[in-house]
Amino acid sequence: MSIKYQSQKIAQDFFTFAVVLFLVQVVVGLVASLQFLWPDFFFLKFNIVKTLHINALIVWLLCGLMGATYYVIPEESESELWSIPLAKLQFWATVVTITAVVLGYIWAGINPQANGTVLGTLTLNEGRKYIEAPRWADILIVISVLVFLFNCFMTVLKTKKWTGIQGVLLGGLTFLALMYLPGMVYMKSMVKDQFWWWWVVHLWVEGAWEIIAGALLAFMLMKVIGAPRHALEKWMYLEVGLVMFTGILGTGHHYYWIGTPQYWLWIGGIFSSLEPIPLLVMVWDAFRTTREARNVTNRAGLYYTVAHAIFNFVGAGLWGVIHTLPEVNKWTHGTQITTAHGHLAFYGAYVLLVMSMIYVTLPAIRGVKEFNPSRAFQSFWWMTISMVFIVLVTTGAGMVQTYMERLMGLDYVTVKATYNLWFWILRAIFGVGFLIGVGIFVVDYFRLGREPMPYVSPAPEKA
Amino acid sequence: MSNRAARNLFIFGSLFFFVIFLAFTYDTMGKLDQRAPEVTNEVNAGKMVWHKYDCIGCHTIFGTGSYFAPDMTKVSDRKPKGYLKQFIMDPRSVNPAAAMPKLGITSAEADNLLAFFDWIAKVDTNGWPPKPILAVAAGVGGRELTAGQRVYQSLGCSNCHAINGIGGTSGPDLTRVGSRRDRAWLFGHFKDPGEYVRNSAMPKVEAPDADIRQLTDYMITLK
Ligand code: HEC
Ligand code: HEC
Ligand code: HEM
Ligand code: HEM
Ligand SMILES: [Fe+2]
Repeated sequence: MSIKYQSQKIAQDFFTFAVVLFLVQVVVGLVASLQFLWPDFFFLKFNIVKTLHINALIVWLLCGLMGATYYVIPEESESELWSIPLAKLQFWATVVTITAVVLGYIWAGINPQANGTVLGTLTLNEGRKYIEAPRWADILIVISVLVFLFNCFMTVLKTKKWTGIQGVLLGGLTFLALMYLPGMVYMKSMVKDQFWWWWVVHLWVEGAWEIIAGALLAFMLMKVIGAPRHALEKWMYLEVGLVMFTGILGTGHHYYWIGTPQYWLWIGGIFSSLEPIPLLVMVWDAFRTTREARNVTNRAGLYYTVAHAIFNFVGAGLWGVIHTLPEVNKWTHGTQITTAHGHLAFYGAYVLLVMSMIYVTLPAIRGVKEFNPSRAFQSFWWMTISMVFIVLVTTGAGMVQTYMERLMGLDYVTVKATYNLWFWILRAIFGVGFLIGVGIFVVDYFRLGREPMPYVSPAPEKA
Repeated sequence: MSNRAARNLFIFGSLFFFVIFLAFTYDTMGKLDQRAPEVTNEVNAGKMVWHKYDCIGCHTIFGTGSYFAPDMTKVSDRKPKGYLKQFIMDPRSVNPAAAMPKLGITSAEADNLLAFFDWIAKVDTNGWPPKPILAVAAGVGGRELTAGQRVYQSLGCSNCHAINGIGGTSGPDLTRVGSRRDRAWLFGHFKDPGEYVRNSAMPKVEAPDADIRQLTDYMITLK
């Protein structure tokens, strides 16, 4: 395995940054879970710790996807990137912006008064979940993404070689960039604020990002097992098409109770119930193509790719659909059930996606013929088993909460502090298991291809 | 189906659904103002305070946000203003066991927050949060309520206090209050909590003396 174009190396910079942030994300996630037991456990309060947890998550996933794209585009358009220096610049600009934003969160956490208002916007933390980044950072991020897209589009335009995978990938990324904008307009009404906020949050994870996932899934299946492009691309169009047909109007499942008209109960209920279908097609697609796979060199890449497809369906599809109908959501809305779904969906759909892209492309970037996948498997099982238990535990907590608080009318704090106490303890324990898995992955990431192979089997290299 | 047809289906199908979505969005925007009171300057200032201290990082509002702390949608229906203001500015002065930190909120900021909460509580949320269907009268399982228990219910004491595990946690648990306090203390404390407990966040009980006496009788039985 080796790369054809030098510019594909730039992917590695993004991957490294992503991997480091992944570690940070999970460490602060563990801190947040301990604060359910001891609220004053850390020098930052829960809100700031959790802000760091989810922002680190979103940023590292985005960096992973950008890295992946920088790898895919030269390969698909069969040429070097339009400009490597521009890509480098964009990388460092991203790193600097993100670091500044993180320092801002910490500062505002220590001294909330520092989070003052300039020109009507907050300077350090906007106080809106996931998009806490202040306006100046939003603008820098948008510029960075535009530069990134420009570089990619120029590459494709230069060669005029459009493939389906590349087109859908860039289409998804463009949609992603556009859907960041509705979050940047200040709304005086909290109802409108949340209305547009969901455009960003929902149309990202259940729209743009799934499109990107569909394109990358096709790419990975092609790389790892050499499946023929023609069929892969057809199924890809079908998958991403169904994602959009169900997911766009599926946004309605967030417009049940925030002050929006009642017809959203129907629109959201019907369309979001259909959202698991494309995710199931992706699973089928992965099995269809891998069934005949023989002599796969990159077993870790294959493993992660198939696991991504499966857990995307389980986390987003199954754990999403159980609480998406209005009659259920009325009781479970904003409980630990939501947390359970959020974790399994993000883990299955996007954490595993970026990790599989890393395992599919990194050996080629580092020029290794073959690598020992045992650490990759170990970290996979540590992470996946721990995550499944974190999710089962929080689902349990959510069911107890829904019953005790929402159905019986007990007080929120009583339920959290007494009936759910053991769930918090268990979540923290499984969180440690997850962190171990991440630790193994980080070690593997930095060592892969850089240590002598204990034993190299004479497997034939795939074209 | 050819790849080309599949591609066109994806592109034009997506555009089709997006246009429908935009149409509903347009319609919704036109209807929102009738479903909520007007946003005054105070309400907007309160919203900015909500953002400034990142309250959403712990709380939900309209059920959206974080799950570390109670939902704020109907908080101003449940609790009196004086109590809320004191709690927001210094949670542990109200409830020493509070998990919410003292964030340094000023008195003016707290007033704006209260205006904001009032606005939120009046938004038409299609009936959310739903009324608990299994809610049973505090402490009674099929028995007749005593006069004191009826007063306790009608005055909403259980928003702040718990008896036998049912009720709020911002005030002390009353399950055994009868063994802590005597009749005179309870009666006097109901008339003016601040006289008996410094910086008390409990509102004065605004009810006829006869009711307060019955309430006191009830409290004495809790041992
Ligand atoms: C670090 C987490 C955290 C932050 C930040 C936070 N809260 Fe709280 N809040 C809590 C918790 C936990 C409770 C439940 C009572 C307790 O244990 O303190 C609570 C309770 C409350 C209550 C009382 C609810 C009741 O029914 O008695 C109000 C009002 C409130 N918070 C308002 C706010 C506002 C306004 C902000 C932002 C300025 C805010 N909170 C920020 C954690 C937080
Ligand atoms: C808004 C919240 C709130 C409401 C409503 C409320 N209380 Fe309280 N209550 C408190 C707080 C806070 C304290 C602790 C401070 C104090 O003792 O004055 C308290 C203290 C008490 C105490 C003293 C307990 C002890 O052990 O010292 C009793 C008794 C009591 N409340 C009964 C009631 C009754 C009966 C009602 C209904 C009429 C009621 N409360 C309504 C908040 C509330
Ligand atoms: C990869 C795809 C998905 C991801 C990453 C994801 C992630 C999330 C997250 C993080 C939240 C919580 C948002 C918050 O912080 O308030 C959420 C909420 C929700 N998701 Fe998903 N989701 C995905 C797909 C789906 C699908 C396919 C469905 C339905 C079939 C679904 C149904 C829901 C519902 C109903 C809620 C609202 C929960 C509530 O009322 O509190 N999700 N999702
Ligand atoms: C890759 C793995 C992980 C992903 C993708 C992830 C994702 C998320 C997301 C999207 C949220 C915001 C939605 C919500 O509030 O529920 C969140 C919150 C949270 N996460 Fe994670 N997380 C991961 C790992 C962990 C771990 C290992 C722990 C520790 C046990 C943890 C603990 C928490 C806690 C306590 C919250 C706050 C939930 C709340 O508001 O009640 N997370 N995480
Ligand atoms: Fe959604």
